[in-house]
Amino acid sequence: MNHIAGSLEQYSTLIWHWPIAVYLFLAGLSAGAAMTSLMVKWIEGNNKAPWDGLIKAGALLAPLTICLGLFLLIFDLTRPLHFWKLLIHYNFSSVMTLGVLGLFIYTPLSFIYAAIKFKPWLFETGPFAGLLKPFKGIIDSIGDNPAWLERTLFLFAVIIGIYTGFLLSAMYSYPLFNTPLLPILFLASGLSSGVAASILFGLLFFKSEVNQKNAKYLLELDLRVVPMELLLLFALFVGMYFQGGDKTLVAIQALTTGVWAYVFWIGVIGIGIATPLLIAVTALRHHAYRVGYILLNSVVVLVGVVFLRLYILYAGQTFVG
Amino acid sequence: MAKKYAMVHDNNLCIGCQACNVACRSENQLPESVYRLQVWIKPEEYPNGTLGYEYHRQSCVHCENTPCVNVCPTHASFKNEDGVVLVDVDLCVGCLYCVAACPYQARYVDPVTKAPNKCTFCYESRLSRGEEPACVTVCPTEALVFGDLNDPQSKINTVLSERVTYQQKERLGTKPKMFIVPNHKGGIKS
Repeated sequence: MNHIAGSLEQYSTLIWHWPIAVYLFLAGLSAGAAMTSLMVKWIEGNNKAPWDGLIKAGALLAPLTICLGLFLLIFDLTRPLHFWKLLIHYNFSSVMTLGVLGLFIYTPLSFIYAAIKFKPWLFETGPFAGLLKPFKGIIDSIGDNPAWLERTLFLFAVIIGIYTGFLLSAMYSYPLFNTPLLPILFLASGLSSGVAASILFGLLFFKSEVNQKNAKYLLELDLRVVPMELLLLFALFVGMYFQGGDKTLVAIQALTTGVWAYVFWIGVIGIGIATPLLIAVTALRHHAYRVGYILLNSVVVLVGVVFLRLYILYAGQTFVG
Repeated sequence: MAKKYAMVHDNNLCIGCQACNVACRSENQLPESVYRLQVWIKPEEYPNGTLGYEYHRQSCVHCENTPCVNVCPTHASFKNEDGVVLVDVDLCVGCLYCVAACPYQARYVDPVTKAPNKCTFCYESRLSRGEEPACVTVCPTEALVFGDLNDPQSKINTVLSERVTYQQKERLGTKPKMFIVPNHKGGIKS
């Protein structure tokens, strides 16, 4: 390329950086944690206080991680002080607008759901009890088992989990993003990160309130979702390979070239998928309940999902055919 | 009647002099580090061993089906009634979705406003005065032709009827209003 035309710096295809990957991770985790909490709560006998530690962990993680993610997202804008314009101007063909509208519903619901699970602490024993007293009536009136709220929250958790994938797949400037499997992959990995984070958080902070039976249920769930991720990744790359042209080229480059190939094989596959499967068939075989390994399992799943988001975001913008 | 502005870049007439690039910078008072328009010069070797040059106009191609407008969450990125793709900086939050979604890498982030910007066909300045875009006026070889596709008598429609043209990345369905007259020698890499 002849530089008589001037600097080529602005023509980099790397536009979105790590805060976006972390947001995608946190949004997926939030959605996954909400689904996890609801799935445990919906098990027979779990529908009344005192809530299981895992229900509480997921209920707490969902609003916290989505808020953290959104905070990160706003400060990653090049014009962060204008972010409120996102809230009042809508473009229904933009996945970002659809995401904003989904979050309008999901975020408050996740807070209400968490408030129900932490009622005694919020309104009686915690440091904000006095301040929050006026809201006790509202939370009480919703009751402990608001079916409409829980089902809507679950539905919107699925929507949030899947929207993070469509956010990227809507761009046909990047072949690795522009695949129909990406939203499903993000939903599946978001669920597995939500399950892992709930187990980790539950066993670290609410250990005495965690019922072994529920923890085993979640471990089994994760053991089903993780191989699904592997299958989705396999189908995604093989599918791209068979599409020909740029897509074939990008599929090969993304799996074989430079630092992002290492991130994929070591971070995503090695740490995030192979290690939990190995733990499941060795240390946790026959549903053994060994807390140390369960925690380790959760950590590697989470690290793997972080790597997956980073890998997709960066490799997708690096290899463009 | 609304206009449908479009441009032709003739690879055979272009000499890669960058007069368009410089005129654009001057007309639009661009900050030093960014460009709305560059002409990329690529040496080519033909099958018989002779050498030549390809000239690629790197700028917004003003799609009819605009990926940048579709993804913009606030309508800051929009296509006006005359088919020109513009940015309303006031509405922009700086998510850079448009920059990423553009398959033509036409957008840059303005170092002053921090909002994406791009070629406007000099819409607010020269077109509103009835003049042609700066790049077209200044081109010494008349490699650039500008006009209204809705006017059968326009110069651009004459050129489009007399010369072979193609649009970049046509397979994406973006329908660019930047028509390229390919080099008479060698192959076409759209």
